Amino acid sequence: MPLPEFDYMQPRSIGDLMSILSKHGDAKLMAGGTDLLVLMRDRIIRPGLVVDVKKIEELHELSWDERSGITIGAAVTVNELLASEIIREKYRALWDAASELADPTLRNRATLAGNICNASPAADSAPALLVHGADVVVMSARGSRIIPIEEFFKGVKKTALAPGEFVKCINIANPGTARSAYMKWKRTWGEDLALVGVAALVGDSGVVRLAYSSAGPTPILLELRDVFDGVGPLEEKIEKASKNVPGGICPINDVRCAAEYRTHIATVLTKRVLRKLMGVGT
Amino acid sequence: MSRHRISVRINGEVYEREVEARRTLLQFIREDLGMTGTKTACERGDCGLCTVLVDGVPTKSCLMLAAEVDGREVTTIEGLAKDGRLSRIQQAFIDHGAVQCGFCTAAFILTTEALLRRNPDPTEEEVKEALGGLLCRCTGYRQIIDAVLDAAKRK
Repeated sequence: MPLPEFDYMQPRSIGDLMSILSKHGDAKLMAGGTDLLVLMRDRIIRPGLVVDVKKIEELHELSWDERSGITIGAAVTVNELLASEIIREKYRALWDAASELADPTLRNRATLAGNICNASPAADSAPALLVHGADVVVMSARGSRIIPIEEFFKGVKKTALAPGEFVKCINIANPGTARSAYMKWKRTWGEDLALVGVAALVGDSGVVRLAYSSAGPTPILLELRDVFDGVGPLEEKIEKASKNVPGGICPINDVRCAAEYRTHIATVLTKRVLRKLMGVGT
Repeated sequence: MSRHRISVRINGEVYEREVEARRTLLQFIREDLGMTGTKTACERGDCGLCTVLVDGVPTKSCLMLAAEVDGREVTTIEGLAKDGRLSRIQQAFIDHGAVQCGFCTAAFILTTEALLRRNPDPTEEEVKEALGGLLCRCTGYRQIIDAVLDAAKRK
């Protein structure tokens, strides 16, 4: 089935991009197009103008330094994230998510920015970005601003981006000694949307953050306070922490599985990922 | 609707054409150029049957615009056999019964081609991982995996 009609532009600079977006409020941005073209083919969206960002060199930035952490430009693909030693070492939840996102072929085209801008509740990158407290750097003709990732997802396929705004890059602060991981539950061994996905970040100062995909209309962040304070066996604390999960998520029944199953698996994966990060044998 | 001039090298030959913005790479290959070895199936990026190599990288052509391949190199299944001789991968697929209806075959062979170029001696796990974006309804994948592992051993 053919795509609907549209105009297509490939600006070569951020300046050109901003100028185009200030004139065309209904334009849609395209990086890998792996969500956009599907939505267009289904006639769920019909943008008059599609603006391809891949020729803008600045948006391909993937850089790290001790002070500011990692910067992931809007055109950086998921496979480029997987090839990054720094991401594998310091932002493991994001690396795990990248390895589970879609399939190896699509990962050559799919981008991190596209994954969050599409804002599916199942977005694999979202839980990792939530536990790491990422910042989304957004630009428009009016200037630039930072949207903390906890404020970025507003509803099913809805983001905090205003008309004319685009994501320039995603910054994630240096996590120091904190460790993270992401686990995804699927129906098949191979490629599937998350039935439920759980990311966790454990910091040495006792900070524990959990985040969930496919467990609510938006990806959900749970911060556990006090659960891991004080004395007592770690296994018991993990068990206690997992009791917070059912009250913190709101999954639905859908064609892929039941809400109760999602809640059950979310609890199981929460324990598994915390045991893994806290070094408790299973 | 905007139109775009593209100059693209496909299987070693340069094609200069003008395409509508909405023309996908898949439609361009099959309908504009008549190379129907690449198949149209789900058109959503799930099945992988539209896979071609763009600058050597497996790409689902149903989710790429023809306008994007200006100045690039595309390899389709038609470009693998040299002077009528099948590639080792193609021969291995035949030898292992990895071709049943044949609809997924081109996509699996091209993806395998890219895999063996970057990883000449993959483990079975690596093969399964690399082929993860492709669906076959006939074989159950066993024959395909065996063919890939065997092809890797052939010259």
